[in-house]
Amino acid sequence: MANSTKLKSDALLELMKQHLTTDAGKQITKKIGLVYQINIAPKKIGFDEVTYVVDLKIGEVTKGSYEGGKPDATFSFKDDDFIKIATGKMNPQIAFMRGAMKVKGSLSAAQKFTPDIFPKPSKM
Amino acid sequence: MAMRELVTGGAACAVPGSSSSSSNPLGALANAIIGSSSKTQGSEFLSGFRSANQNGFADAWDEIQHQNQIPPHFDQFHGPRPAALPQPTLDGPPQRVLSSFLHSFVGSSHGSIPFRPTSLPLLGLSDGDKQCIRDRSSIMARHFFADKSEDFINAQVNALLSSLEIDSDARVKGPMPGRFPELEDYWNESQGMVRPGAPAVDGWITEYSQHRAAHGDPDAWAHSFEQQHGANGWASEFEKEQSQLTSIDQMRGVNIPNFEAMEQTRMLAHTLAQNNDPKFQNSKFLQFVSKMSRGELIIDDNQVKPVASGDWAAEYQQQYTGGPSWADEFAHNQAINPKWDFNDLLKLSHGPEQWVNEFSTEREQHGSADDQWVNEFSKLHVDDWAEEFGQQIGENSADNWANAYDEFMNEQVAAKQRSDASRGVYVFSDMNPYVGHPNPLKEGQELFRKGLLSEAVLALEAEVLKNPENAEGWRLLGIAHAENDDDQQLTCNKERISMQAIAAMMRAQEADPANLEVLLSLGVSHTNELEQAAALKYLYGWLHNHPKYGTLATPELSESLYYADVSRLFIEASQMFPEDADVHIVLGVLYNLSREYDKAIESFQTALKLRPHDYSLWNKLGATQANSVQSADAILAYQQALDLKPNYVRAWANMGISYANQGMYEESIRYYVRALAMNPKADNAWQYLRISLSSASRNDMLEACDSRNLDVLQKEFPL
Repeated sequence: MANSTKLKSDALLELMKQHLTTDAGKQITKKIGLVYQINIAPKKIGFDEVTYVVDLKIGEVTKGSYEGGKPDATFSFKDDDFIKIATGKMNPQIAFMRGAMKVKGSLSAAQKFTPDIFPKPSKM
Repeated sequence: MAMRELVTGGAACAVPGSSSSSSNPLGALANAIIGSSSKTQGSEFLSGFRSANQNGFADAWDEIQHQNQIPPHFDQFHGPRPAALPQPTLDGPPQRVLSSFLHSFVGSSHGSIPFRPTSLPLLGLSDGDKQCIRDRSSIMARHFFADKSEDFINAQVNALLSSLEIDSDARVKGPMPGRFPELEDYWNESQGMVRPGAPAVDGWITEYSQHRAAHGDPDAWAHSFEQQHGANGWASEFEKEQSQLTSIDQMRGVNIPNFEAMEQTRMLAHTLAQNNDPKFQNSKFLQFVSKMSRGELIIDDNQVKPVASGDWAAEYQQQYTGGPSWADEFAHNQAINPKWDFNDLLKLSHGPEQWVNEFSTEREQHGSADDQWVNEFSKLHVDDWAEEFGQQIGENSADNWANAYDEFMNEQVAAKQRSDASRGVYVFSDMNPYVGHPNPLKEGQELFRKGLLSEAVLALEAEVLKNPENAEGWRLLGIAHAENDDDQQLTCNKERISMQAIAAMMRAQEADPANLEVLLSLGVSHTNELEQAAALKYLYGWLHNHPKYGTLATPELSESLYYADVSRLFIEASQMFPEDADVHIVLGVLYNLSREYDKAIESFQTALKLRPHDYSLWNKLGATQANSVQSADAILAYQQALDLKPNYVRAWANMGISYANQGMYEESIRYYVRALAMNPKADNAWQYLRISLSSASRNDMLEACDSRNLDVLQKEFPL
């Protein structure tokens, strides 16, 4: 029995974690070289957030806040919106302007946070 | 009226690209009105900008002035119609030419006269307009010429389309939202570098304009309503009449000259917002005009002053409930033409019954968008209205009207209950050649067997329209959507997002709550959408309703489901009958849900030994392997699925995903394109294709992707 959390993003970040161990994933780490912290809220940004760190310096996804200093950029999403952005359904820039994505940190780091760094889930 | 709407294109939400309110008679009228009033009051205010040599502005101004020369279109649907068929007027502004041309097409149905291609002046129709006209005219022609042969109908439609220079089968798609260069500004703003003024409001304005740019139409409720129900539909006019009252209320206490300035700038802002150039959209000028129009800035003693930004919703309301000049004009028109010439409208559409039918079909097609509509409508003292309307049109038709109206309201209520009960609302295709087919289910099954999934969807839609309680029809429809990878999310009403496969399966389950295949499909779909709780519910339902395993399921469990309990039951079940492939399949889906992919793969492999020719099972195995980053194995499994079912769109798209996840972007592009060639409506595949194109540094093909130009893509990326 694995974890029974309710977030859809958990599945995607789990996939990301596995993905970063593959050759294609290592390419992404090499290309980006930044640390992102992602806060995901089930319903409303800022409430009941679950925090992940997608460390594209060393190629790891971990739960909890970043402990190695300050992440290059920190994002906050609702669960659904994160899925939409990571699967290319929503443009991150539009999401940002609509307030569906909050960002802190450096702009150049944030601009590299694009759908192509995430693996795509397959459908049964 | 529905007829007119169909012809002139009350854009359903199924046509996302259709921008232009320029094809909208009410819009033209509004422009004409605003033009006339701004002549007297607005010119001084506006001439300042003119001297500033704003090109966009000057154009917009000219356009408004030009529109002003058009006699209001109102009389076309309000005033008495001449008894003779109107001859097409081939000069004048494009709007008018188009309108009269379409009328003459409709008119040709009365005399069954072959419609002749005519050469028209350049109309400047947008792609969206064209698509609308093409789609609508082909449907409507089948109504007009119901007694004629198919050849005759096609000839009529082709004549119409060729006159309008519309390619009869071109793929016209709306532009995809682009990227916005001004991001940096907003970024800085959000990072605390606050500009003087009200940054939150600024951001909002821009977002608002972006939104307009992205969708080509304002997102006001009122506006989308107008589009869906036809700008010239009665309901829309009724609404306007009501809003006249509302806006007068709102006007009390508002500084009148400012209100007028607001109103003028509003129209100006609207015209300017039609310009899709992102640079222009973000310009300070447009922001200024937008602010003026919302009353956030006022002109006082020749100085521009900001107004404390209040509740924007209220302002928004003001904006869209229509200003004083509109209201006046409307009242004026009402005075001249006290009666709506309803009979003419009826004539247009073969009499009341037909109208009623059309109206109800429209209702079904538009389905989910209507909840708000109903709410709004019921606020508006509908009973009074119905009565009043009845008086105007005489006894007989009044009855028809009342009936139609009752029917409509009942449908609304039923639809609302349905949608409350289940999240998914199935949205039917606009144009369906299988409606009226003697046995659409058989046809649909046959098409499905042949692998013509998009066609099968249409035939099955016809079946469930005919027999809404046919669980098998709905089930196969859901399967066809899933295999076709139709995952476009229908957001007619912003809050409701439904997926066709799930919506159809839910209807199947309503019709037959114990159908095992349906329950399994719903479990799979919800697992794909990462919706754990719903998936668990249906998979447990499968066990609960199974004749062999039903005894394992304890009723008290169904109240609060825990993954551990459910999976334990399934393991038990699989030990009872290890030769039953089904139970291994469900177990495999369950393990996907808990992301225990190794066990899931094992279960599917066990099932495949028992049932090696199940293509969807091979796809399930592949997807599971892909999600546990065994992409190379996944590709082998998908290949098996495709050998068994070559038109399995989902498997083709999954192939693309697996190549992309391995960093083989060129390869992935080919598979996505292949999937899209079979089903251009697979939105996910388009999105993934776009990502792969940029990852493969094929930015030269992004435009083809954004315009969904499959011909170019297929040539460039053959498989």
